[in-house]
Amino acid sequence: MKTHYDVGIAGYGVYIPTYRLPTTEIARIWKGGGAGPNKEKAVACIDEDSATMAVEAARRAMDMAQVSKLGAIFVGTESKPYAVKPTSTVVAQALGQHFVLAADMEFACKAATEALQVVRGLVGSGMIENGLAIGVDTAQGRPGDDLEYTTGSGAAAYVLSRSNPDTLATVEAGVSYVTDTGDFWRRQTEKYPRHLSRFTGEPAYFHHVETSVKQLFETYGLKANDFTYAVFHQPNPRFPVEVAYRLGFKFEQIKTGLLNPIIGNTYAASSPMGLAAVLDEAKPGERVLVASFGSGAGSDAFSIKITASIDEKRKKAVKVSDLISKNIKIDYATYAKFRGKISR
Amino acid sequence: MKLSISYWRLKDRYYRLVGVRCEECKNEFFPPVYVCRRCGSRSLTDKEMPKTGKILTYTELKETLAGFEDQEPMLLGIIQLDNGVRILGQIVDTAAENLSIGDRVKAVFRKIQEHGSSGQIFYGYKFVRT
Repeated sequence: MKTHYDVGIAGYGVYIPTYRLPTTEIARIWKGGGAGPNKEKAVACIDEDSATMAVEAARRAMDMAQVSKLGAIFVGTESKPYAVKPTSTVVAQALGQHFVLAADMEFACKAATEALQVVRGLVGSGMIENGLAIGVDTAQGRPGDDLEYTTGSGAAAYVLSRSNPDTLATVEAGVSYVTDTGDFWRRQTEKYPRHLSRFTGEPAYFHHVETSVKQLFETYGLKANDFTYAVFHQPNPRFPVEVAYRLGFKFEQIKTGLLNPIIGNTYAASSPMGLAAVLDEAKPGERVLVASFGSGAGSDAFSIKITASIDEKRKKAVKVSDLISKNIKIDYATYAKFRGKISR
Repeated sequence: MKLSISYWRLKDRYYRLVGVRCEECKNEFFPPVYVCRRCGSRSLTDKEMPKTGKILTYTELKETLAGFEDQEPMLLGIIQLDNGVRILGQIVDTAAENLSIGDRVKAVFRKIQEHGSSGQIFYGYKFVRT
C-alpha cells in the first residue's frame, strides 16, 4: 500500500489510567494459584471509558503535533460507550475540530492500525493535511475467564501529516492481511467476548502476523535486521516474543515496546502504545516495525523510519514509562466496582 | 431528556473549559458572563481557560446528589486556574488524605454522570493532581 505523498507522524500521545489490578487478585478470587501471565493490568476508573481516554491521548498527540486543523478523526475500539453514537465526535468536540471526517473503526485489537492505514491514505493522497488515528479500549474479560487476567485499559493517538521537517518519523511502508477466522467474537447484545482458547494462537495470531510481516518484507525488500525495534500486538506476554523469534527478530529489538507484562492487553491501543514507548527513546535514522493483530482476523504491518526531528518533538512527550510507573494498586472489589461488575 | 438538551448547549464549556475574555479590561470569566463583572463592558469573546491551577480548598462528600452515588466518596475542590479564575470541580484519582491546599492540579476529561444503561452519558472536566 503506497501513498502518493510521503506521510509522517507529527505527534503522538498515550493515556494509561492510574489504577492497577495485580493479577494475583484475580487468581485469589477465581482460580487460585499465583499471578497470571502478566503481573498487573491497567484499569479504567469508574468515570473513565473509551471516549475519555481517547480524548486524553488525543490532547497529548495534538500538543506535540502543533497542528491547528485536522481533516479526519478515527477512533479504533471494541469498547464503544454507545452501541449507536460515535466516540469520534466526542473527541472532535473536545478538540474543537468540526470540519473533519469522523468515524469509529471496529476490528478487535487492530482497529487502531486500521485507522492509521486510512488516515495515511487520506494524507498520502493529498485529500487532507493532517489526520488523527486513535486506538483505545477498556478491554473486558468475563469474570473468572483466562481473558480477565490480561484485558487492560489504555489509549494511544497519532497525528499523521504529509512528511515535512517537523514530522518525527516517516511511515515508509504498510500492508494489510485479513481472513474470515472466528477466534474471538462478541455478539450484538453480549457484555463479554468469547474466544476459542488455543485456537487463538496458530491459525489466528501467528498466521496473520507472520503473513503480514512477510508480505511487508517481500514487497519492500526488508528483513528483520533492517529494524532497530519491532512492536507486535500483545494479547499476552508470550505471543509477541514467539512471533518475533519466528520472524527472525531478537529480544533486544522487541523489549522496549513490550508492555503487556506490566499493563496487560490494551486491545486496540496495544501495538500503537508499544510504538509510543519506542518513539520515547528511538534515535534518528532508526527503523521500527509495527505489526498489529485483530481477531476475526487480520494484521496490519508498517515500517516506520525515525527522522532528525524526534529529539525536539520528544520534549513535549508524556513518556509511556512515566505513565506506567505512576499508579495506584487496587483489589478485586474496587476493580469490580470501577468496571461495573457490581453496582448498588 | 431535559438534561441531555441543556447539557448539549453547554458542551464547549464542559469539554474544553470555554469561558470569556473581556476585550476592554482583559479579565477572564468562567462560567461565561454576558457583561464584564469588572468594567461592565459587553465586548466579550470566547476564551478557553488554562487547564492547570492549584487547590484553594476541598471537601469530601460521603453523601452525594442522586445519580452520583457510585462515585462516593467524592472529592470536590475550588481550583484557582493559572489565569486567576476560580472554578468548582471534582478531584479524582486520589484520596482525601493525600490532598493538601495548594496542590497543583490539571483538568482532565471524564464522565460526569450517565442516565442508567440506556440513557445518555455526560462528559466534562474534573481535576487530578500533577
